[in-house]
Amino acid sequence: MQIKLKVFRYLPHTGKKPHYDTYEMEVDPNDRVLDVLEQVRADSDPSLGYRRSCAHGVCGSDAMRINGRNMLACKVLVKDLNSTQITVEPILGLKVLRDLIVDMEPFFDHFRSVMPYFVNDDPIPEDGKERLQSPAQRDRFDDTTKCILCAACTTSCPSFWANGKYVGPAAIVNAHRFIFDSRDTAAAERLEVLNEDSGVWRCRTAFNCTEACPRDIEITKAIAEVKQVIYSGKIE
Amino acid sequence: MSNLKTTMTGYASYRGREGHYSFLLHRITGLGTALFLIIHILDTSFVYFFPDLYQHAINLYRSTLFGIAEVGLVFCVFFHGVNGLRVAFFDLIAPRLWSVPKQRFSTKITLLITLLMWIPASAIMLYNMLYHNFGWFGG
Repeated sequence: MQIKLKVFRYLPHTGKKPHYDTYEMEVDPNDRVLDVLEQVRADSDPSLGYRRSCAHGVCGSDAMRINGRNMLACKVLVKDLNSTQITVEPILGLKVLRDLIVDMEPFFDHFRSVMPYFVNDDPIPEDGKERLQSPAQRDRFDDTTKCILCAACTTSCPSFWANGKYVGPAAIVNAHRFIFDSRDTAAAERLEVLNEDSGVWRCRTAFNCTEACPRDIEITKAIAEVKQVIYSGKIE
Repeated sequence: MSNLKTTMTGYASYRGREGHYSFLLHRITGLGTALFLIIHILDTSFVYFFPDLYQHAINLYRSTLFGIAEVGLVFCVFFHGVNGLRVAFFDLIAPRLWSVPKQRFSTKITLLITLLMWIPASAIMLYNMLYHNFGWFGG
């Protein structure tokens, strides 16, 4: 099929202002948007910059705005966009470094601020092996273990667009994963961070995060559960 | 990009689903309601500070332009209230409802409830305006 691809371009070393380049191309309807970008680099413009690594929806490198909505370029097929016009832009709210590449450091700073790692300084169990957990206890936080840190959720959030200090959905999801882990002992510290001005209360439930998540994590639900823990004081 | 520019770009160009538009409408209707409340507090304060101007303000409210704006205001109040109750219920009482199908369905129901309340209210308001300002229906 014939498509018209419009791509946001910004190459700071050229001194040119941000603009859009358009490419008319013949592609297979089953091509992914990432394949289309690879085709542009191979055939038309090797200077086009974007992130990619695994190309199979696992590494979370290639989140971008495709036809106005955050998606992973490696997970969306051209035919599923239902349009012969495809516009590709960088995710919003993070500084554009070049073309479709944004500075992810503020995003990872927020991620690190919620202590996204297992904390338990209690003595190890007597058998010297593992800290046991029932299947039900494991299920409690199963959904939020699936995050791949692609930033599609955080950069689709109107509260994050308005205030980059907001920790954002991805950080809260990763905090949720440990807050509800029965083996972890640092929930109070995480909740303290999330109860600050830049924490969960900035969520306005626009639901863009849940719609944008390429792993189908129920993000707004996870955020609401963290809010409940903060005001009830109980982790259930 | 500045935060304001990013926010406006996102508001206007992000192709979100029902939740995005519900969020935007909540903001707009919230601003509309807040604007009315500010004007209302100001004009009521005229009773004490500038009694002569108070009657002038009331006459302004009776004008056709304000009558039409009030019909819009009633939509703002109804939508903001109903959607606020939906969000508060989901967020504070039943987080399990924050699933994609339930969220999409509930935003549509919110709009439906708003319209069911707003259409009869605006019919009454428009009737009154036509009756008093244009002499229709024997006015």
